[in-house]
Amino acid sequence: MRADGHAPGRPTPDGQDAGELLRRCARDVVDVAEGIRAVSARTGTALSAPPLTASARRRPRTGLAAQWALLRALTNKQGLGGSAITEPKGVGQVLGAARAVLGRESLAALVAVTSLRLRIAAVLVDHPEFGRDPGMRRLMAAVTADRDLEAVRALRALFRDRGAQRALCGLGPLMAELVAVRALLDEDPKRDAARWALAAGREPSAGPPHDPPKETDQGQGAAEAVDLTDQERQFIATEGSFLGFLRNIEVLSSGGRILVQNVRGPDGVVRYVVQVPGMAPGRPRSDAPQDFVRAWHNLFMTDSPHTRSVLLALADYGIPRGADLALIGHGEGGLALMNLARDEEFCRTYRVTHVVAVGSPVDNKKPADPRTWVAAVTNQHDIMAVLDGRDAGSAFDPHPHWHAVDYTGPTRVFPLCHMLREYIEHLRTVIPVAREGVDAALTPYRGPIVRTQAYQLKDRARPPEGYPFLTLPTSSIPTTAGPVDVPVRYYDSSAAHLCFPVPADAARRLLPGVTRPTPSRLGRRALAVLSLYEHRCSTIGPYTEIALSVLVDDLWRPRPYDIATDLLRRADLRRTGRYVLSLAVTSDEARVVAREIWGQPAMRTTAEADLMGREIGVRSGDLGLTVEGRLGPGVRCPEADWTLYGRRADSTVRTLVRAHGRLRLHPGTGVRLRLDTAAAEPLAGQLRRLGIDRARPLLVLACPQFMLHRSAGAVLPR
Amino acid sequence: MVTESPRATTASADELLAHTGTLRADADLMDGYARQLLATAATLSGCPAAPGWSRPALEQQAAACTTAAEQLRTAAEALETHTRAGDWD
Repeated sequence: MRADGHAPGRPTPDGQDAGELLRRCARDVVDVAEGIRAVSARTGTALSAPPLTASARRRPRTGLAAQWALLRALTNKQGLGGSAITEPKGVGQVLGAARAVLGRESLAALVAVTSLRLRIAAVLVDHPEFGRDPGMRRLMAAVTADRDLEAVRALRALFRDRGAQRALCGLGPLMAELVAVRALLDEDPKRDAARWALAAGREPSAGPPHDPPKETDQGQGAAEAVDLTDQERQFIATEGSFLGFLRNIEVLSSGGRILVQNVRGPDGVVRYVVQVPGMAPGRPRSDAPQDFVRAWHNLFMTDSPHTRSVLLALADYGIPRGADLALIGHGEGGLALMNLARDEEFCRTYRVTHVVAVGSPVDNKKPADPRTWVAAVTNQHDIMAVLDGRDAGSAFDPHPHWHAVDYTGPTRVFPLCHMLREYIEHLRTVIPVAREGVDAALTPYRGPIVRTQAYQLKDRARPPEGYPFLTLPTSSIPTTAGPVDVPVRYYDSSAAHLCFPVPADAARRLLPGVTRPTPSRLGRRALAVLSLYEHRCSTIGPYTEIALSVLVDDLWRPRPYDIATDLLRRADLRRTGRYVLSLAVTSDEARVVAREIWGQPAMRTTAEADLMGREIGVRSGDLGLTVEGRLGPGVRCPEADWTLYGRRADSTVRTLVRAHGRLRLHPGTGVRLRLDTAAAEPLAGQLRRLGIDRARPLLVLACPQFMLHRSAGAVLPR
Repeated sequence: MVTESPRATTASADELLAHTGTLRADADLMDGYARQLLATAATLSGCPAAPGWSRPALEQQAAACTTAAEQLRTAAEALETHTRAGDWD
């Protein structure tokens, strides 16, 4: 029975039956794919059997006929379909090369891709919002090709695309199928076998923790003691409690840090609590996985860079042997800690008394010490917490003696339902009894905190994400939404800048002040830019941004055609820039940062953007704004570094934007802006006054994937 | 001059016969997979949320399984003929 009174497996009235049916069919189909792969492997073994090769030389009439029949069975396009995955050398290798030349795919791969497509359909039935996930969009673009064969090829290309790996890492609910399908599409038979063993989400936990897959991650973990900022210290709990520990994790949720604390228990004994956050969707990862399969493997290994880093942090902290330890984590952090608890050596060194995992896929894990008390808190809507193939609502309960808090929370939408903030709120208001249960179990850890130390986890074997462009010195600026590191860094973004010639007088009337700034003129026209951004990963989280700006001259010495000469200068030396007239963003954090750090008139809105392909589209129901169309042929442009101007009180705020990506200049003929609102709100009114509320842009500067960073705003003298 | 010993050649024949048995068993398995895929296609046809492509795709893959089963049986037959025709002793 779940904490909210629902029995697991009972169909809910909101249509989960269809999703469950699709999942079950997907599992059946992937089982068939696995079987076909094994048949192909055995047929290949028979074909390359040395007695057959030797005897066929002696008796070619029957021998060659047998070899031909086997070859036909193995490679026929209407049958097993040319799979030669069993033999790295000889006939198998030749067949593999032939398959590549002929563009064939094995039947096993085709069937596995069908399973993946069914699984995608199942996820979207329950969580249609997951369709907006960047990784899901790329995956769907690949596998929804009309023909199976095209889907397989597109998927193979996606798996090879290094730029797509970050996005694919976020597809937790589909990871088992992705790994399985990639195993079938892999040309290397040795790696194929190893991956297949880990595929389909059934096997990763079957082996002992010290039995990693053949592709052991050679990354070296590292942990460095770091200080918390003053603002962070204010939020760190001073008394041990379940919610206090979770709030600590929430404070640490960005930047790959963990927290170790000493607690003096009610009995006067000092115990230790290790708190590890998970990876927040849409924020940079500290471990920057090389690909999604490796990231997936690491989740199930005690010997991954992440767990090695946690061990180094504990060693540095100086926890004595045999000390009592409570491990508390969220998401991937909970899984990493559970992997530590499964490590017999670790459990011999310390006495792991408690493991509490919130929103973590720990169902199939079992601590090495049978005395360890385990609690798993899972919102049934949190698809990231059911990675192990035990789907939401499954009647299977692998650990009847665990304190399993399996509830249906009010938050359905992903990724909101996976966020720790939501879990904390639910534990406070929806399932207080469950919280009290965990608190009661954690009684030995409920006392004053006597020492707190944060550690930054690193992987020395790999450069940090975004290196070198985004490897910058940063500083923390307090805002009403909490401290924000500047420069704000964007690791994975798309943008389209729609450039409209507008009447210079109309542009001037929208700018503040009488004398400055003044719009840059191109003859009698000024240039307005509607910038559309999709930020999939940034240090302030993922969001969509719609900004209307006007190109302005040097604030102090405006001269005609300033803009032309300025384009030849380095961005940091430019005096012209874009004055932001209005800005709409889809997250509160981004709104606060834009308002308080960059002085831009930001408002919160809803918007969906797809700017990664030739077909671009941005829709905002709140703003009544639609931009859609197809980009025509384009030419490569230099990097789009900009200076942005905003306003704070009566002062102008200057923000430097540096970008790194492949910017292209397209004619604007295929793209149209449409405004379907009578509202006179800032953006709509400004578009109308500029006369571009139903216009095609002159030019579009587009970049489907790039990185950028925005400095803190510098306030200029009046 | 190198010659094969009678024991080795008998072992080779046994190995090829074992492959023959495996191929026949795999052919039966492939027939089973075809039935399984058709059953899945039938199940999905009653599900309104099932994608439209799923049924034809599964039926096509089931047909490929059936073809593969026939070809595996043919290969088993050919391999057995070759094994039995041979002078292994």
